[in-house]
Amino acid sequence: MPVPGHVGSDYERLRPDFRVIADPFHPDRRVMLVPAIRPDVAVIHAHLADQAGTLLLEEREDDALLAQAARVVIASAERIAPTDEIRRAPTGVRLESLHVTAVVEVPRGAHPTAVRGAYDLDEPHLLAYMAAARDDVTFKAYLDRYVLEPRTHAEYLEAVGGR
Amino acid sequence: MTDAGPLAGWSAEELMAVAISREVRDGETAAVGTLAPVPAAGVLLAHLSHAPRATVFIFNHEDYWPFRQGSKEFYDYAQRGNFDLFFLSGGQIDRHGNLNLITVGEHDHPRLRFPGGAGSAMLYYMARRVILFRMDHTPRIFVEQVDTCASPGSSPPDVVRPGGPWKAVTPLCVFRFDQTRRGLVVESIHPGVTRDELERRTGFPLELPAAPAVTPPPTREELDLLRGRVREALAKSYPRFAEAVFTSP
Repeated sequence: MPVPGHVGSDYERLRPDFRVIADPFHPDRRVMLVPAIRPDVAVIHAHLADQAGTLLLEEREDDALLAQAARVVIASAERIAPTDEIRRAPTGVRLESLHVTAVVEVPRGAHPTAVRGAYDLDEPHLLAYMAAARDDVTFKAYLDRYVLEPRTHAEYLEAVGGR
Repeated sequence: MTDAGPLAGWSAEELMAVAISREVRDGETAAVGTLAPVPAAGVLLAHLSHAPRATVFIFNHEDYWPFRQGSKEFYDYAQRGNFDLFFLSGGQIDRHGNLNLITVGEHDHPRLRFPGGAGSAMLYYMARRVILFRMDHTPRIFVEQVDTCASPGSSPPDVVRPGGPWKAVTPLCVFRFDQTRRGLVVESIHPGVTRDELERRTGFPLELPAAPAVTPPPTREELDLLRGRVREALAKSYPRFAEAVFTSP
């Protein structure tokens, strides 16, 4: 697909998969083409999902676009809800189930980031992560405590202090 | 961060916000992207003073960000050429206005890796006037030539480019982009900054005139607005920054 700009930048050198061609509509101009991104799997998080996989997603995000680009879409949702509740929701982006491969209920599934209107980001946890990421030993300790040791999402939430 | 001068009574951030504000024209569309609290403050200051009819967009601000459909809607809107004014920065900015947001050193074995160019290689071309900004001014940032160019400062005539660099605002000076020389030249030095300091902290020759212009200091009214209504509006996107920087009476 064509993208404005970019011609003359080092993307020409660093990304051999990007092409610069004469614009077929204006042959005196050059234009950059980039290949479409087709993820094998997209993992996205929804406010609500019904049992068929219809999703209510946050506005202002690119999850619906990502879901339509990916071959397999795994959606987690704060709550599994009746289809009618999703249809009647006044805000949010509705994504029909034809784009969704699997859905799973994961309350507080965006932690430590936020779900707008549901919960804020966990700032103390993010600051602790940033501190831990500074060296391999503390980062390994972080991974052990929050990623490798909790066997379930409930255990993860317990490990992060029930937030 | 440099001090704004012993008797200045304002911070470097405030002077930069005021310098940016003066570039905003009434009636135009000015947009501010991510991680840009000082440009956001400058645009808000302009909107609340001399540019009430400007259309203002501030990334993810509850009152100033109408793009409900994610970044695609924003980028599509931008690449139609709808922005008169936008703001970009770089890990390196060179004398020709080239931006590096990719790597420093050998690209495959970099000494530094930045987050990536994101939309800069489109926005730098398609926004009519782009103001570059940095909150620090060192010879490692303002370099002779970028190691890797995410977005060039100018383009040959066979590239569609309605926009490009207009000014660069730092804690030490305001550069303007000279179209003839295709490069950054000093427009004004901030009060309290010496030409020696500016030359020492810039990685390319400046060719300063004998008596370079001095950036006009903030007025009382500008400072009152910044520390009042601008701070309140800014806090909706940048609560900590607004609290820390624009609170002195």
